[in-house]
Amino acid sequence: MATPLPMYPPTDETSAPRLELAEDLREFRDAANLEAVVKLAREVVEDPSYPTVRAWALHGGKAVGCFPVYTPQELIHSFGLLPVSLHGGGEHLEISHADAALGSFLCSISKSTLELALTRQLAPFQGFVFPYICDVSRNLEGLFPRLLPGPETHMLHLPQNFHTRAAVPFLTAEYRRLVVKLERLSGRPYDPDALAASMRLFNTHRARIAELNALKRTSPAKVSLIESYLLRRLGGLLPRELHLQLLDRFLPELERRPARPKDAVRVLLVGSFCEQPTLDLVDLLEQVGCYAVDDEFLQIHRWHGPIEPGDDPLASLAAAYVNAPIDIGVRATPTTKGEAILERVRVADAQAVLFLTAKFCEPALEDVVLYRRALDAQKIPYLHLEYEERSTAYEQSRLQLETFVESILFN
Amino acid sequence: MSGPTTPEFLARARDEQRDMVEQYYRDLASAGGPKRPVAYMLVGGNLTEIVRAFGYEVVFPEIVALNCAIKHVSLPNILNAESQGYGLDVCGYVKNDLGLQEMGGETPFGKIPKPDLLVCSFSGCYVYVKWWEALAERYGVPLFVFDVPYMRDRAPQAEDLAYVVTQLEEFIAFLEKTTGRSFDRAELTRVLAQSRRAEEGWVRYLRSGTHRPSPIEAYFEAVFYMFPINVLRGTATAADFYETVNAEVDERIRLGMYPVPEEKYRVVVEGVPPYPSYRTFWDFFRNWGAVSVAATYPKVGGLFDRGFLHDPARPLESIAEYSLGAYVNQSWPLRRELIADYVREYSADAVVIHGIKSCRSFTAGQGDLRDWLIHEKGVPTLYLESDHEDPRYFAPAQIKNRMDAFFESLEQRGATASAAGVAP
Ligand code: SF4
Ligand code: SF4
Repeated sequence: MATPLPMYPPTDETSAPRLELAEDLREFRDAANLEAVVKLAREVVEDPSYPTVRAWALHGGKAVGCFPVYTPQELIHSFGLLPVSLHGGGEHLEISHADAALGSFLCSISKSTLELALTRQLAPFQGFVFPYICDVSRNLEGLFPRLLPGPETHMLHLPQNFHTRAAVPFLTAEYRRLVVKLERLSGRPYDPDALAASMRLFNTHRARIAELNALKRTSPAKVSLIESYLLRRLGGLLPRELHLQLLDRFLPELERRPARPKDAVRVLLVGSFCEQPTLDLVDLLEQVGCYAVDDEFLQIHRWHGPIEPGDDPLASLAAAYVNAPIDIGVRATPTTKGEAILERVRVADAQAVLFLTAKFCEPALEDVVLYRRALDAQKIPYLHLEYEERSTAYEQSRLQLETFVESILFN
Repeated sequence: MSGPTTPEFLARARDEQRDMVEQYYRDLASAGGPKRPVAYMLVGGNLTEIVRAFGYEVVFPEIVALNCAIKHVSLPNILNAESQGYGLDVCGYVKNDLGLQEMGGETPFGKIPKPDLLVCSFSGCYVYVKWWEALAERYGVPLFVFDVPYMRDRAPQAEDLAYVVTQLEEFIAFLEKTTGRSFDRAELTRVLAQSRRAEEGWVRYLRSGTHRPSPIEAYFEAVFYMFPINVLRGTATAADFYETVNAEVDERIRLGMYPVPEEKYRVVVEGVPPYPSYRTFWDFFRNWGAVSVAATYPKVGGLFDRGFLHDPARPLESIAEYSLGAYVNQSWPLRRELIADYVREYSADAVVIHGIKSCRSFTAGQGDLRDWLIHEKGVPTLYLESDHEDPRYFAPAQIKNRMDAFFESLEQRGATASAAGVAP
């Protein structure tokens, strides 16, 4: 039997547009206005070679890639490392090798993340953290040390029993395991004071993101979904200090924008907590007459409120994760799914729910059934769309969305 | 390949197993309610000993699902679940169960009672959590999520054990509150002694695959014999059963009666079986004189053969270790090494991987496993894919062709794992 050829690419294979940014990322600081930042954000997000991380590396900075949905980014930051949110390869990345290694019936983000690793586009990273949010992300982590030798890789078991008194001590111990790797990676010892300082920075950052989300909820005409989305995406790609400066600069500008409400349906977006839809699809949602007043994108920036570091910042960080009232598909629900969705519709003051789920994302797909039952019982309209990273034909989705919006507006 | 020399048809153990399964479902049919409450549990890392000590009958919906598939009645359940909104990509076990629940729980082997308690042992499969959420929503009965950390190191770490043991203590308190009964620790110790006896018997059975020729079929036959170790563990019936099994295995060796008349290929099998086409798939192996000498799937309930045995002297600690040791709760590096160890210990010639379309827990990454086995370990490896539950995904001609090509090339090449230096 002829031995099958290795299924992995030669080490110099890459396939991506490459945006070059200055070492101090001054392009963002010097941007003339919000539109310029949003445009730049789009270019950064569409470039799977992580231009902001490459720029950070120009002065010797080290970066840790964090798979969705939650990693204690403050902890990574406290070692002087750049925590970066990984969000797959986007629509321009061709999957040539990852299918064979990982499997066919899987979400795009798992495959494109592996493809990025195999085509050396994750080279700017020195470490990776994969939280156990589902079996795919967990298994993906297991392939990384073999296929991308060198960087530290960590599988973070986030607790799923939120009622046990052991959850916080366990998660604290989990964070200690991560600390060992971060120490190795950064060459610095763990410093609780540095962690407390990072926690304060991230508290402020989350507060600004919360303002942005609140603005979208209360005055959806002032900030489009694509703007709010791209601003939030940047939050996982830039040094947080810089991102905070951008938010501080542009939030007041957004608040001051004249609100010119249009006849649109207030929708709650549910299901895109991990893999992200293409930017065109995000754009489309509001083009067809929706206001996406709340969503599940980029939960990392809104996981919990401010954390008081206290005597043991690591334990405080763990407690904040465990006690967060977040109810998404990759966290064992503290309530019933039905109650949860109705409450979220109420809080967002939404007229309808738009399920936007990644194809093959089982955690999201299974929730949709329970959510739909609760919505049916209350006669709350909903629509379910599935997406893949590389899907570019939206005619069908546009038609469905338009019909959906019309049926609500004219009823 | 059937006939008087095929142990499967000679077997007293197989008959006993069949009776045991039938009795189990008969008993279940009348269970439920306050007198004989029913707990639903998952196979991986299950807490059957504790739950039984509180008087619960235990239903394992995964096992009900595989029984439905093997009896060719899974498709209507799956279609019902799909009509409820569970898409094509959802695990077939989940769809079988949620469809069956919706249709009242009637199966050819008995009626499955509704749960009074849901115990979600989150050990190795996140779908467990989603599935049990759906059941909790449907039935509104108490749900306990038992969170078992993923194994990233060969041995359980102290913090993992502390976490799991605390949850076990809380689980016991929760059951005391739910049932109004107090917990009898001495009884748990007695039950665990039976568990251990069954586990030792099961391990002895599995280890007999090291014989050449192998007196057991460590995948297709072992799947039948998994039932007591997972479902009836802690009972004398289960422990006695493995004595019968091992006596029969000894007899097979004495009489020279093997799963295939002439053992040509010794294979390690990884992955969940295609239950809707179980016999057909098995025949594809038998046709080539291929016998599985070791397999990972029979270890989904626990890696007893790697030392994760219950210990009556350390009840909660050993239950914790056992729960951590479910096969799919092992990281890929651990899984890979285990399979390579099996190849070596059982002198296997090849590995066959059966990927499951709707089971990501087992399947995501199996392609890389194949690559690793071939290129780093020199072990001929075949990857096949269908589904464990949904008959629509088994393409017999295609699978047979691939198996024929694989075994033919092994034959031509004379390439075995031992030749590649993996076996001792
Ligand atoms: S998209 Fe869904 S299935 Fe894929 S890694 Fe994320 S949570 Fe898991
Ligand atoms: S391990 Fe696989 S087959 Fe079992 S419940 Fe999980 S997804 Fe389904």
